[in-house]
Amino acid sequence: MRKFLNGPWVLLMPTLIILTCVVLLPLLLSLWTSFTPFKLTKPDTLYRFVGFRNYERLIGDLDFWIAFGRTVLFLAIALNLELVFGLGIALLINKITYGQRTLRTLMMFPMMFSPILVGFQWKYIFNDNIGLMNNFLREFGVIQPIPWLVDGILANVSIMAAEIWSSTSVFAILLLAGLLGIPKDPIEAAKVDGCNSWQVFKNITLPFLMPFVFIAMTIRSLDVARAYDIVQMMTGGGPAKRTELLWTLISRTGYVDAKMGMANAMSYISIFLSIAFTFFFFYKLVEARQRLSYE
Amino acid sequence: MMLRIFLSLILAVSFFGSFSAKAETELWGDYSGVTLRVKLIGGGQYEGLYNEVIPWWEENTGGKIEIVTQKNHFELDKEIKKDIASGNLDFCVASNHTSFASQYGDIYTDLNNIMPASVLADYTPLILEHSTVNGRLVQMPRHSDVSNLYYQKSLYEDADNKANFKAKYGYDLTPPETWDQVKDQAIFFSNPPDFYGTQYVGKEEAIAGRFYELVIANGGALFDEDYRPIFNSPAGVEALQWFIDLYNAKAVPDGVLNYLWDDTGLGFASGTIAMNLDWAGWAGFFNDPENSKVAGDIGLVRAPMGSGGLRTGWSGSHSFSMTESCPDKEAAASFLWALTSNKAQMIEARGGLSPTRPAIWDAIIAEKKAEGDEFMLMVFETFKMSLAEDAFTPPLIPEWIEFTNALYPELQAAILGDKSPEDALATASKKATEIMEDAGYF
Repeated sequence: MRKFLNGPWVLLMPTLIILTCVVLLPLLLSLWTSFTPFKLTKPDTLYRFVGFRNYERLIGDLDFWIAFGRTVLFLAIALNLELVFGLGIALLINKITYGQRTLRTLMMFPMMFSPILVGFQWKYIFNDNIGLMNNFLREFGVIQPIPWLVDGILANVSIMAAEIWSSTSVFAILLLAGLLGIPKDPIEAAKVDGCNSWQVFKNITLPFLMPFVFIAMTIRSLDVARAYDIVQMMTGGGPAKRTELLWTLISRTGYVDAKMGMANAMSYISIFLSIAFTFFFFYKLVEARQRLSYE
Repeated sequence: MMLRIFLSLILAVSFFGSFSAKAETELWGDYSGVTLRVKLIGGGQYEGLYNEVIPWWEENTGGKIEIVTQKNHFELDKEIKKDIASGNLDFCVASNHTSFASQYGDIYTDLNNIMPASVLADYTPLILEHSTVNGRLVQMPRHSDVSNLYYQKSLYEDADNKANFKAKYGYDLTPPETWDQVKDQAIFFSNPPDFYGTQYVGKEEAIAGRFYELVIANGGALFDEDYRPIFNSPAGVEALQWFIDLYNAKAVPDGVLNYLWDDTGLGFASGTIAMNLDWAGWAGFFNDPENSKVAGDIGLVRAPMGSGGLRTGWSGSHSFSMTESCPDKEAAASFLWALTSNKAQMIEARGGLSPTRPAIWDAIIAEKKAEGDEFMLMVFETFKMSLAEDAFTPPLIPEWIEFTNALYPELQAAILGDKSPEDALATASKKATEIMEDAGYF
């Protein structure tokens, strides 16, 4: 006992207790509910075990898998575009010698808006009747209004535009921090050796930056579900499920239909998606670090 | 039962000033030291009532009201569902709706056991019936909703319009009596993207409700008596085809499938819509020159008829409920009465909302006659007739909202041309069957 009390376990206990209460227990409870027909309005259903029925239904539910696929596509496109735009902004700001702080602050403005406000704002911009976009296009002779939030492709592009506007600055800030930490010597040496700007970027700046890229990707892939509010405000997953993502589907199933057992089963399947993205980015992060230390 | 409550019959003249209403049973008491926690529906249309009734009740009873939550009904619905799941029902009074009430199980108390019969006698019996779930009166009705057709009068008075319409469709241009006429006229008036013949709410329970009332008007039904879906029928296909035809003809805005109530109301007020099926609560807004470009140019007719010879009349009532767990049921009963009293209903009726007390219908119509307000007089007379003769509720079952969530994406898919109406209704019917089977109806 004394050995235990003097050992590392004692020091770990507070963390373990907090993690158990805050993370593990809610996770176990939600996992349990996914094996029940739990309805919010019928608390007794929490104690009715139905085995894998919710999961079996989901396996045969085409709507769920379409939403799943669309979410993967949304994540892949949005995160990559945010990375490209964020990298571009970070590189440009890194070049500036005067007013950099002001620009860095300005760049963070979109992050300060709550996703609900971003959703409202972009819903208005893309409104087919009174929206800024259609009125702007009308000035250039596009008389017939474009149904931005109705057409299957355009609606997804519109939502992605809102999400990218809202979150690109996260990438930009993290990558700018990486750029500021890159040692100058190798870059100067490369320039002395006759490398052009592209060669310097490709062979020195980018390898140094890659760990930051994957850290940013990991953070954003976990955080991107915040886009739920944007989607909910702009289209609610519709029309006709054309913009349905896992988040809108799960939220409607859980809170509007009150079928929390089914919603949690959906969540546990979609957790694999998050784990897959996170695992991939961590793997790439470790790889990038190893390459950097090797070089 | 309610020791501290004393009933008094007085003439409610003092509340209304310019008219006399029939005697009202009041429900006052001394509730000094009592604080009632309440969860209320929020929004401009609803909050005026609280600003007047809460101080009035507090002054007369010595009790206090603590508003815990004030948010739109869909958010309030989610919150209450979460409260039920967590067993955290630490409030006494909450806003409710006849379409939502049956979802909440037995968290709300049976007001038949609490409200004196003389109080209940002041409300329209049919509305009290709709406020009853499994034989338990769980709601005190606040105001009722049904939709009628607003239109721009000048369009129908224009000689060119009359001549051109007659030449094209072979009958006179008059405010529509049937939904087929609405379709003809909407297509005739449309000049997209500047002007549209009509519009409809395009998502969630809203479009499901509109579809439902059109199915009924066409002589169909959503469910049979065992709650097996039967809307995949000629009446259902005809109803859905009406939405599709208007969308394909560009007689409604392209973005209509994202519209909810505010969008259609503001759309009509913007002057770019010829006809608009909407609730009574918008009437004052539509005729206010500060808010509306069609003020002074508005006509109103009863909701048109479907092919079954019935008028559409999807209806429901906003209401208030008292939790079973409320520790001060007497005080809560008094507050429920105050929120739905003659005084309260008159406040809302002046804003155009439809009362649930027959006495207030008479009073508001008398008041508008005395004021010479022809527009609001027309509004109240039309809605009174509509509520009396055309109104019907959706199925008052706990699965209503879940069912509408299964139905509306299929309606949208058919409207957008992703599916045929038959395919869309077949899919919706299959999902509805699953919902009803899970709920144990068959």
